[in-house]
Formats: sequence, structure tokens, C-alpha cells
Amino acid sequence: MRVTIKLLAIYRSKLPPGTEGNTCEIDLPPDTKVEIVLKQFDIENDNSSVILVNGHAVKPGQTLQEGDVLCAFPAIAGG
Amino acid sequence: MNGWHGKILRVNLSSESFAIEKVDAQTAKDYLGGRGWAIRYLYDEVDPQIDPLSPANKLIFATGPLTGTPAPTGNRYMVITKSPLTGALTNSNSGGVFPTEMKWTGFDVFIFEGEAPSLVYLWVDEDNIEIRSAEHLRGKSVPETTDLLLAETDPKAKVACIGPAGERLVKIATIMNDKHRAAARSGVGAVMGSKNLKAVVVRGKKTPTLAHPEEMKSLCMQIQKEVGHDIKTVGSSLREFGTAYVPQVTNELGILPTRNFKTGVFEGVDNIDGETLKEKYLIRPKPCFKCPIACGRDTQVNVPGYEGSGEGPEYETIGAIGSACGIDNLAAITKANYLCNELGIDTISAGMTIASAMEMYEDGVIPESDIGKPLKFGDGDTLIEMISKIGYRDGFGDLLADGSYNLASHYGHPEYSISAKKLEFPGYDPRGSQGMGLLYATSNIGASHMAGDIAYSEVFGVPEKLDPLTIDQKPELVKLFQDIFAVIDAVGLCVFLAVRYMLEADMSLLPRRLTKVMNYATGAEYDEDSILEAGERIFNLERLFLLKAGFTQKEDTLPPRMLSEPMPEGPAKGKVVELDKMLPKFYEVRGWDSEGVPSVEKLVSLDIEHEK
Repeated sequence: MRVTIKLLAIYRSKLPPGTEGNTCEIDLPPDTKVEIVLKQFDIENDNSSVILVNGHAVKPGQTLQEGDVLCAFPAIAGG
Repeated sequence: MNGWHGKILRVNLSSESFAIEKVDAQTAKDYLGGRGWAIRYLYDEVDPQIDPLSPANKLIFATGPLTGTPAPTGNRYMVITKSPLTGALTNSNSGGVFPTEMKWTGFDVFIFEGEAPSLVYLWVDEDNIEIRSAEHLRGKSVPETTDLLLAETDPKAKVACIGPAGERLVKIATIMNDKHRAAARSGVGAVMGSKNLKAVVVRGKKTPTLAHPEEMKSLCMQIQKEVGHDIKTVGSSLREFGTAYVPQVTNELGILPTRNFKTGVFEGVDNIDGETLKEKYLIRPKPCFKCPIACGRDTQVNVPGYEGSGEGPEYETIGAIGSACGIDNLAAITKANYLCNELGIDTISAGMTIASAMEMYEDGVIPESDIGKPLKFGDGDTLIEMISKIGYRDGFGDLLADGSYNLASHYGHPEYSISAKKLEFPGYDPRGSQGMGLLYATSNIGASHMAGDIAYSEVFGVPEKLDPLTIDQKPELVKLFQDIFAVIDAVGLCVFLAVRYMLEADMSLLPRRLTKVMNYATGAEYDEDSILEAGERIFNLERLFLLKAGFTQKEDTLPPRMLSEPMPEGPAKGKVVELDKMLPKFYEVRGWDSEGVPSVEKLVSLDIEHEK
């Protein structure tokens, strides 16, 4: 299945070299857990990151589905 | 006193005289400083029913006990007055270098009273205080005014001034300091203009004494070290992109203000984000005084038709002037930002007022003949033209200059104004950020994110990520954020660093470290409870001012769009703000009655002397 990875702010640098913009698409086995993908992109899965799937907060153990957008950015006070 | 100088400079502009007053030690401690001291003075000295642009209003510049100390980001001041835009009180916050220099004059607070017979400026070089003519500065822009004043006072002095907008009593006029920093909201610049006060120039070396300098130094170095470590290891998004990284975040959550908040998803977001700003226009990050974060943007635009240089844009400007107006041309947004700074106009209220005008034009509510040309969403060039017209109250700009609520009411449709208590919304659509909805509705100054930015939790994950779509615990948390932000404003810190590093290292919302820093600076022996209680005291006294000004629970509300038009798309699709469910609980946790009036018991418990 295909999912979109969107990495924002300083996390953009964790996208594969040569990526244009803030997203890339990757192929994953069905029902891949969010935490597996985060590991693949070297993203801390703790309170130092905000992780969203389709704009919603991720539940523990949540798996990804075809067409999902997994978004991550660092937790920082600002705006 | 330590931390505080304990001195107020009271300037009577009508008689062009001044007096120096001492601050009572108990008031100093109970109200912390800055926003806290200022509301105490405003409440005691100003009838809340007065016309904000009359000489009876007072304009208060207030630093905090940590302003100008080694406390990281201790570089803020606030402007407190009765707002001509909203009729409520306001407290408008700014950083840069001016606040530190103001504190180093040896005064914590300047209070301006009356109205000068002709245009003047105040020059404070420690104990040398002069009220000088500013007639030669009439009509000058903010950069021109600043440069001329530095030339005729001291090149090392710092300047806060109004531009043409403040002189013309534009109700969304700012007070600019260090050319590019703004005490932006609620029309504080118009109050300064109404007093015929063009500028305040300060120079000083009187750093405040500290009660426990060694302990203060040690803890502040520890905090600086943590910030430095974070920047090295996880990087600093704020330094790299400024707050301009945020449009991508809010767009992902479906709460980026788009076309006057019709929706929260903007198709042009990639063109207006921090990455684009960095690639195209960023010269360098620009810090406030001794700030390790450096979120400011020193920028330059060379695109034909939009040439200019200055600071910005930050997120709020991009949201209001950009997506809220349907504009994805970052050169136009940045140019509009420069123009607002030069004329002295609030970018949020300007953008949101023009956004409301665009929607009314497209819906046929405002005839083209009134504007003189089409005013459509997405038209950056006309937006720039309109900002100039606001600054000079020229043509249709005269209506825009009074803010979105007055504009929309003029056309018989106040519902087009996306504001609370007539103050235009900042960049978070509360339908997808329920806590922000409650915050906007209950803030004492109207819809300001700076009044208790629960977006830190709902959007940015600090101290922990909360579900922005639910209302669970939001009344309790909004109260806590409001009280904490009152403390941060009062002591003179920037919220960016204060929330992340000054409360507690484990990111809980207990102000343990802030309490220590305050005690090291002032020696006043606060504990966490008394610090937070001071924040609550400040918030409640502001509420009393608001009620005496004639506000009731009816004004603790949001525009109909937020309450009855479900978000049409995105992650918050189908949501409205569930204000009716949160508000009664909020009153309860505040210790207020069902009509939003603080109970006598609450006021007694906070030692608020309210009948003066």
C-alpha cells in the first residue's frame, strides 16, 4: 500500500535526499504500524514530536491504511 | 527593591510635566509587574466607561521584574490602555531591544496622561527627562521617525513610536519599537496618537539589582544550556524558519484561516511557508535582545513591484494577510508586512479586516463603487493598496481603519467580522481547536492568542499534545493557560521560551523554575501557588475592568460562523465550536457566577481591592 509521509519544520531534513517539498510517498506492507515508519525516518516517538495521521492525533499501536498521510513535526512552543 | 526598580515615571502631556513615583512593595509583589501593575493602575485611575481616545484615557508602558535581567528572553514590555477598537482594556506585548533599554532608564513603568497641545515625544536618558516637540516628525513613517530621533538624541537610544496610522487614530494602529517590532493589537497606536505623543526614546544603563545574583546566573545559564543543547540536537525550527513554519502545521490540522475563515485548508500553503521564505527572502534570523531562539526574520524582497526590506513576515501575518485573504504570493505578503510596519498598522487586524471586506465584496454586500475597484480574495496588489489607504484613512481605507467589526456593522452585516469582542481572530480556526475557541471568547482583550495560547497544547504539543477537537478538560486548561500567560506577561518574559523552559524541565505546567528566577531576581519569596495566584489576580482584576466598561456574558462569544457553520473540509470537517458546553464550566472553574461575574469570595481570596 502507498502512504504519504509529510515532515514539517526542521524534520524536513529527514526526508530522503533530493525530495522536493515536504512530502514523499512510500510503499508499505498492509497494516504497518506508525511507529515502524517513524523509526525508518529517525523520528522520536515521544513527547518531543507531534505525530498526525490525516490531521488527527495518533493512537498507540495505530496502523496505516492505503492513502493515509503521516505527518510529523517537532513539538515546540511557537506560533 | 530588586528586580523591580520600584519607580514609575508619570507624564502629564496636557501640562507637559512629569512626576516620579515609588511603587508600594505589597502591590509590587501581588501584581508581579508589567501587565499586572498596569491593570492595577488602570483600574484605580481610569473610569472604564470613558472614550478611549479622550484625554481621560491613560497609556501605560510597563516592563516586568525580569525585563533587562539575565533571565533568557527577559526582553518584553506591554502597553496597557482602554482600546479604541474594542472598548475593552488591552495589553499589547512587544520584544526587541526597546523594552530592555526602557527598563535600564531606571523606571519600570511610564504612565501617559492627558493630551499634549501639539505633537511631542518623550526623551528619557535615565534622570534627564524631556518632553520635546515632534512637529517636525508629523506624518513621518516609523523608520523615518526612528532615524531622525536617533540622530537628535543618542545613536544608541531605542525608539518606540507611531506612524501615520497612529496619528490618524486608525483603530488598528500599532506602537512600533526598534522599527520592526510591534505592540500591535487593539489600536494602542491610536491612543498614543490621541495624546499627541509621537514617540518615546530611551537610553539607560541602570540594570536592575538582583536579590540573589549568583543563583540567578547559575539557573539562567542552565536554561541557556538546555536551549543550546536542543538547538544542537533536535535543531531549532524557530531559528531556521521563524514562526513561518506554522502555516504547514495549521493547514495539516485544517485550521489555517482561509478566505475570512470560510475554511481551514488553504491550497496555496506551500507558497507561503517558512521554507519558501527562507529560500527566497531571508537574509538572517533576527533575535530580540539576548534571545537564544532568534525567531525574527530579517528579509529582503527584490521581486519587481514588491521591493523592500525589513522584518517579517511571521506566522500571524502570513495567516491574516495571506491565507485569510486567499493570497499565496509571499512577495506581496512580505511587502504588505513592511508597509504595515512603516505606517504602524497591526498586520493581524489589517489582514482580517481586508479579508472580511473581500468576502462582503464577493457576496455583493459592499458595492464596488464604495471601494473604487474590485476587491477579491487572492488579489495581493489591491490588498497592498488597501493597507496604504488604511494608514492614511484615504477613501475606503477610512472604513477599513476602524477594524472588521465596525466595517461589517456599517454594512449591516456584523457576522462577516471574524472577531471576538471586536478584536480580529489570530491564525487558528477554533472549530478545529476547541480550546482556542473558549480562549477567544473569554479573553479580557478579545480574540488574542497571546492571552493564553492553548494552541501550544492543541497544535504544537507543548507540554503535551491534546486532541484539539475535543472539549474535555479545556475549561480547566484555558483558565490555567490564561493565568500562566498573565504571569509571563507581567514578569517580562517571552512566551516562547517561558512555556518550554521556564515552567518546569519535565514540561509540566508548574511554574517551579519561573518561581525560582523571580525569587532570585526580586527576593520576594514567591512559591508556585502564589505566583499562579498572582496570574489569577491579574486576570480577575482585568475582568472587573471589563464588566465596569459595560461588557457582560453576552460578549463572551464568537461569530456565528464559528458557532453554527460547520467546518466544510479537512480534519475538523463538520465541527463548530462547542462554546455553550465549555463556557458554564469555565465560569465555574474561575469561581465566577453563571453570568461571568467574579464572586465576592473569589475576589476576597485573591485579595483584590475592587471598590475604589
